Amino acid sequence: MKENSRLRAVQAVREELAALGIDPFGVTIDRILSPTEGLIGGRPTILAGTNNYLGLTFDPACIAAARTALETSGTGTTGSRMANGSYAAHRELEVELARFYDKRDAIVFSTGYQANLGMISALAGPGDTVMIDADSHASIYDGCRLAGANTIRFRHNDPADLAKRMRRLGAEASDVLIVLEGVYSMLGDRAPLREFVAVKQQYGATLLVDEAHSMGVLGEKGRGVSEEAGVLADVDYIVGTFSKSLGNTGGFCVGDSADMDLLRYASRPYVFTASLAPATIAATRQALRILAGADDLRQRLRDNAERLHGGLAALGFRLGAPANAVVAVLAGGKIEALRFWDHLLKQGIYVNLMVPPATPGDESLLRCSVSAAHTPQQIDAICAAFASWKGATSQ
Amino acid sequence: MNHQNVVMQIIELVTPIAEGRVAQITENTELTGQLALDSLKVMDLVVAVEDRFDISVPINALADVRTVGDFALLIEKCAGGSA
Repeated sequence: MKENSRLRAVQAVREELAALGIDPFGVTIDRILSPTEGLIGGRPTILAGTNNYLGLTFDPACIAAARTALETSGTGTTGSRMANGSYAAHRELEVELARFYDKRDAIVFSTGYQANLGMISALAGPGDTVMIDADSHASIYDGCRLAGANTIRFRHNDPADLAKRMRRLGAEASDVLIVLEGVYSMLGDRAPLREFVAVKQQYGATLLVDEAHSMGVLGEKGRGVSEEAGVLADVDYIVGTFSKSLGNTGGFCVGDSADMDLLRYASRPYVFTASLAPATIAATRQALRILAGADDLRQRLRDNAERLHGGLAALGFRLGAPANAVVAVLAGGKIEALRFWDHLLKQGIYVNLMVPPATPGDESLLRCSVSAAHTPQQIDAICAAFASWKGATSQ
Repeated sequence: MNHQNVVMQIIELVTPIAEGRVAQITENTELTGQLALDSLKVMDLVVAVEDRFDISVPINALADVRTVGDFALLIEKCAGGSA
């Protein structure tokens, strides 16, 4: 096989990091202590980069449900639902998700990534057009590639730019699939969904919204930005994940379409993947029950987000969006951001380092995700670590 | 849509993005090769072109674009409604 230039490019980046003695993409949590603490390199560390928004990973009821399922149904399903059969609990979770969102039906996927891949590639194909926000997650870009559809980007969170591109399509606009995210994972900013829904309705297009970072966080019952904006009934498909607020792994889509059941047959990422293990399904069902009534957790999460956002803003840091569960600090160039990230880790604070092209624009980010399980003292410790960075006052 | 005119307009739009890496940009200049535009810069160029010509360029169609001339052909195709 000839020299692989793509891998050599990756190698060059790895060597650049090795020369600095910093490896932000190879962190090992030696022991996980709680939803918000772990041992990293022998040091007790506050975890502020987990997406564990409601802190349910150690919830006793979820653990008990998983344990019972493990003992009664075994460790894994060892096959795909299409070829090897569904367990009853897979379908029961789908019914519960559909009921939670007040939608006709749901499809459970094995990861959130596959949910986007599976839905976009089942809804669109060669010759079709998908309109996506320029800051979309990789799973949305990859879903479009798998679909083989014409993929048109519009400016981030800009309904007028989407409308302009819909107008250009003329009569074809009604066949377009528009894909948005409720909250964008890098900066934590929300989509202006009501305005986007108006564009979708004007042209009669189909709308899919990924609520991965807003499920359990926003909306009166935790149903995300769609609920918060009052447009839940106008969104055709909502995609989500079990790996954030629900504290597990897996993904799903809910929708009102009469074709929901056909979509699974047309979705290769659904058909050709092993289904979720019984313990995962059981814990997720329990977590969904908790999430639906988690007003207290959502309030704690909001309080923590505002405490962190306010603390970092008071220190003079530039932040990516108004207070939300994702608090992103704009951290300048890659090398400076790397050193800043390493400094935080040595202070016992783990956050996510994000560098271009994964970030919007050409700036690196230190991305914090807040949990309802963080204590106010932990939030203050995160702020104190940021304050101790030598560049804090010059940000 | 005149091909040479499209080429000239691309050169006008790409020149500030290319930051002087190539003294004389022509129809045969490579966007990611000679001009060393990274993925973010390419998207900046696409947005500028879309605004200039009032078109939308599908990102999947960019895979076949290597030179300024290739990009001009794609723009002409998009403007003709067949992309």
